Amino acid sequence: MKIENTKAQMRKGVLEYCILSILQHGDAYTSEILLELKDAKLLVVEGTIYPLLTRLKNVGLLSYRWEESTSGPPRKYYALTETGKLFLNELDTTWSELVEAVNLVTKK
Amino acid sequence: MNKTININLGGIFFHIDELAYQKLKLYLDAIRRSLSDDSQGRDEILNDIELRIGELLSERITNDRMVINENDIDEITKIMGRPEDYSVDEEIFEDELKYSPKTASKKLFRDSDDKFLGGVCSGLAHYFGMDVIWMRLLWLVLFFFLGTGFLIYILLWILIPQAETTAEKLQMKGEPVTISNIERKIREEFQDVSSRVKSGVNEVSDTVRSSEFKNKTKSGIQEVIDTIGKIILAILKVFGKFIGALIIFIAAITLIALIIAAFSVGSIGILGFHQDFMNPPFFFNSIHPPFFYDSILPSWLLVIFGFLAIAIPFVVLFMLGLKILSSNVKSFSTTTKLSLLGVWIIAILGLSFAGINFATQNAYDGVHNQTKDLPIIALDTLTIKLIGNDNLSNEKELRRRNNYETVFDNNVEKLYTTRVNLDIKSTDKTTAYMKIRKESDGKNRLTANKDAESIEYKFNLTEKNLLLNGYFLSDLKNKFKDQLIDITVYLPVNSVVYLDKSTQTYLNDVDNVQNIYDGDMPKHYFKMTENGLECLDCDSSIFGDSYKNNTENFKLNIDENGVEINVNDGGKDAKVKIDKKGVKIG
Repeated sequence: MKIENTKAQMRKGVLEYCILSILQHGDAYTSEILLELKDAKLLVVEGTIYPLLTRLKNVGLLSYRWEESTSGPPRKYYALTETGKLFLNELDTTWSELVEAVNLVTKK
Repeated sequence: MNKTININLGGIFFHIDELAYQKLKLYLDAIRRSLSDDSQGRDEILNDIELRIGELLSERITNDRMVINENDIDEITKIMGRPEDYSVDEEIFEDELKYSPKTASKKLFRDSDDKFLGGVCSGLAHYFGMDVIWMRLLWLVLFFFLGTGFLIYILLWILIPQAETTAEKLQMKGEPVTISNIERKIREEFQDVSSRVKSGVNEVSDTVRSSEFKNKTKSGIQEVIDTIGKIILAILKVFGKFIGALIIFIAAITLIALIIAAFSVGSIGILGFHQDFMNPPFFFNSIHPPFFYDSILPSWLLVIFGFLAIAIPFVVLFMLGLKILSSNVKSFSTTTKLSLLGVWIIAILGLSFAGINFATQNAYDGVHNQTKDLPIIALDTLTIKLIGNDNLSNEKELRRRNNYETVFDNNVEKLYTTRVNLDIKSTDKTTAYMKIRKESDGKNRLTANKDAESIEYKFNLTEKNLLLNGYFLSDLKNKFKDQLIDITVYLPVNSVVYLDKSTQTYLNDVDNVQNIYDGDMPKHYFKMTENGLECLDCDSSIFGDSYKNNTENFKLNIDENGVEINVNDGGKDAKVKIDKKGVKIG
């Protein structure tokens, strides 16, 4: 078992939650989402995000629209749907519970 | 020097050298393969990736450097991640997305949010896609009508885990398993196959052109075969669920029946309920193991052994059915499994022991004879009467029966049997006598004889009235020992016997001159002759056919005209007529 894999798995587990959280503050296109995640050091490689975004969209948590950009080709803007908001609320609770639980265990 | 190629990546135009192009193509192909699980989303994902790569590459293009080289691709690959990174993520995603209608498979959980007792009903209702109220009503019926539904309920309560996480709750509420859904699922699978076949064919034609024919054809065909395999698996799964449900149903019914049987049989044995508790008596007899009363093992132990021997396999079957139906049902631990097996073996051994022991129980017939002189000589008239015991028996009518009742005689539980046979024969002696023969089966000759002797039978002789008991009492353990009593009254010639009405069903093939049936003999006087009993006051209508034929062959007619005798012997006629004219033979 490689430590890298474990690290990656841990990060990926919260990725979904983070994407939804980023979109909570406003619509964003793929590169913006990537930038924010990379700044937060949540993402090492970009590849992971694409299947995730597509699936979240297919499930109905996200929606997207195409917007022309001043520099280069049109951009894909993602937005949170109503279902996505409800889902995010639930994940918020789960996350705070998880943080509490992990703290409780690790701080002993 | 390198050749360059023009490509369009995410709507942006690039010059790329040939080696870099090969690398990029390999990379994208590898990603496509790692995403191959979902053909629908794959193209979209790849578009997004190309778009992003194009964006990243366009940042690298400066006026000095117009062509994309291998280094650029290497850096891009580093940013985007290895192809495996895409697929690993997908795996996680699959697990997370069990609630999506396409991939959802329903699992059986107890619903803790909507519970009355353990949430079993609501969990089952979710699983079968019905309203929880109907499920509750069904269980209520099981509780009250079968009484033991609650044991099944508790079993389910223990075995089905509670839905705790959101994912589990979503899984619990997945799609209802209905015909239309099954049909839809199969159709989806077929559409999937056709699209796969199409893409496979496309790939084949592509690769024929690029002359990598051999390798790729195989993968295309393999894919088709894989998909067909998947469809078969899906169909088998549906069948499996059905079989699982059937197994659960059968196992549950059997367990319920067993519990009821164990309680009813057990309560009689353990709590000492009276037999009346289970009317009619033959039912009692049929559910009561014969060796119940005469086994070396106590009856309560036999009940428990019998119950365990049958119930344990069905509990295992029940588990199996649940497992087939839903994969997340808890298994028994190894300790539980082993102890169940152990208990089962003990129960089987115990039963075999008792069974073998019982099988040797009826091996021998025992007899006990008793003779009693009766003060009857020629010309005396003996009256035979059978009497019952209303205090003991519940039967209204005294008659011979092949079954028995359990009765309380001075607070001791005993068998009350009316298997008494009465026969009347002639004797050369001058005084009458009576033989009482008691019969019983037993484990060996000695105990059989003892059991026969221990049968309680009484009679009473007052003046010339013989009062015979129409029943006998025996120990409860002798239930299946085939006990009976034969009474034979021996009468001297020329003595007379009157058979009371009560003897009717007890008479057993009594020989008499007129061949009168046993049932017609009572309430008549019979005289013992050299040839056997002869009725003194019977109407000829009750005479046996063979006797009647004998007498009809010979006709004697005497009147004012004279005497006429007709003899008919097997077709030959003989006639004798005596009148005023004399004797005429013709």
